[in-house]
Amino acid sequence: MIRLALPKGRNLEPALAAFRAAGIPLLGLDPSGRSLRTRLEEGVEILSLKDWDLPLYVEQGVADLGIVGSDVLAEVDGDLLVPVRLREGRSRMSLIGRSAEAMPEPGGQVRLATKYPNTARRLVGERPWGAEIVKLSGSIELAPLLHLAELALDIVQSGRTLKENGLVEIETVAEVAACLVVNRASYQRHRTLLNQWIGRLEAAEVVS
Amino acid sequence: MKVSAALPTGVAALLFESAKRRREMEQRLVVRLVEAGYSEAILPILDYLEPYESLLTPASRGELYRFIDRDGEQLALRADFTPMLARLLAPRLHSLPLPLRLFYRGDVIRFEEERAGRQREFYQLGAELLGVPGEPGEREVLHLFLEALAASGSEGTVQIVLGLAGCLDRLLLGCGCADPAALASALERRDRSEVRRHCPQLLPIVETGLPEHPEDLGEAEGRRLRSLLALRDEMAGLFPDMDLFLDLAEFARQGLDPRLTAEQGERSYYDGLVFRAFAGPSALPIGGGGRYDRMFRALGAEVAAAGFSVSVDRLLEAVR
Repeated sequence: MIRLALPKGRNLEPALAAFRAAGIPLLGLDPSGRSLRTRLEEGVEILSLKDWDLPLYVEQGVADLGIVGSDVLAEVDGDLLVPVRLREGRSRMSLIGRSAEAMPEPGGQVRLATKYPNTARRLVGERPWGAEIVKLSGSIELAPLLHLAELALDIVQSGRTLKENGLVEIETVAEVAACLVVNRASYQRHRTLLNQWIGRLEAAEVVS
Repeated sequence: MKVSAALPTGVAALLFESAKRRREMEQRLVVRLVEAGYSEAILPILDYLEPYESLLTPASRGELYRFIDRDGEQLALRADFTPMLARLLAPRLHSLPLPLRLFYRGDVIRFEEERAGRQREFYQLGAELLGVPGEPGEREVLHLFLEALAASGSEGTVQIVLGLAGCLDRLLLGCGCADPAALASALERRDRSEVRRHCPQLLPIVETGLPEHPEDLGEAEGRRLRSLLALRDEMAGLFPDMDLFLDLAEFARQGLDPRLTAEQGERSYYDGLVFRAFAGPSALPIGGGGRYDRMFRALGAEVAAAGFSVSVDRLLEAVR
């Protein structure tokens, strides 16, 4: 049996679409159901996990593989294999502010609000300015809007929320994609099946 | 006054049955090592930092607990037995009869981010073989490692991955990629698009762990790979309950060329056979080892060295 961890949030639909397109239909899975654990006929068990917990489940071998955003992966620094990324559902990690002028001058110091403090720390380390990093757990856009911070570092998908709130995407820092992640030992044990699945995802051109 | 029983992050106290189980497991492993002719070395938990400076990678430096002693000396808590034993033996080697067979046990202390399954203090047991060069030394160490795992009672769930440090250097450096160290990292995490973009001839190694033909790696590397395949088959015959895999991509970051060492991880001192083991229902990493002649060379001594270590508590978790 192989255990696949699927994310609950924005990456679920692109993940299911990719598996469908690759002819890996995951028959018997009810994505809108409340089941945390579903055993499918094809010897596959699906775990439904929050994005932030998923890397740990795969790293610890509880799940053999999973789908998780590269934004989360970069933040948690788990020991995982990342063979492919989904093409659908891509977004970007960007610096956001009330205007482009929110970007500090060299030597300047700002407050930067984010859900991704480790990523933010690495980013600031490469900049000519400094930042006090404010860790928030949601509604990051509110921070620059209500002057809690000059800048925010967050995921931008269409940019509509920003526009509606009078914010601007000052700089794209990284592309964000949903990644297929695999446990190190599972990669050896299930190599034939995993190569088959990855091959089919590649042939369907839903991953890169 | 009410006293809390809470401990700092990443450490544990074993009481009653859990202490007994740890000692029993330790004893099973020690008996096997003693039978194989290995004698014990008891090492300090505290040492000077200076002798290790040349051996540290940025990653292993980040794990060290370091501090200034009251007399001004920089000290570090023991984070790895192998370099400690090496730095103690290197200046004395000329007066010691080779081969030397030593084993050790005790705690190692490494800073780890707070995360499930990552302890900061853990109990290791390991063995080192000095003075048996080449394949015979590697064979002895791997065989003893597998025997120790068999003695632990975990053999039905054990997975071993074997590889060769440095055997992909020629391919990684020869494909024209501007950042071969980053390519080695991509190969190690089996990132297909990065590998395809920079060096498509490495793709078979991503998929199967091996090149299409051993000689694709170069003449000498191909020969080494053929011997390793034979060693894997021999060990698979001797330990039929264990799964032995050969996967060169697993150790792609363990390069020998300085141009590849920029992204190396914590224990990247291996320069020949290298192996790691997983055990239990969740296939937890339980230990590993390999050949590390170059560590002694860096300490000014010429001797063949190979060894392994196991995490006793992980092993206990695996057999539970």
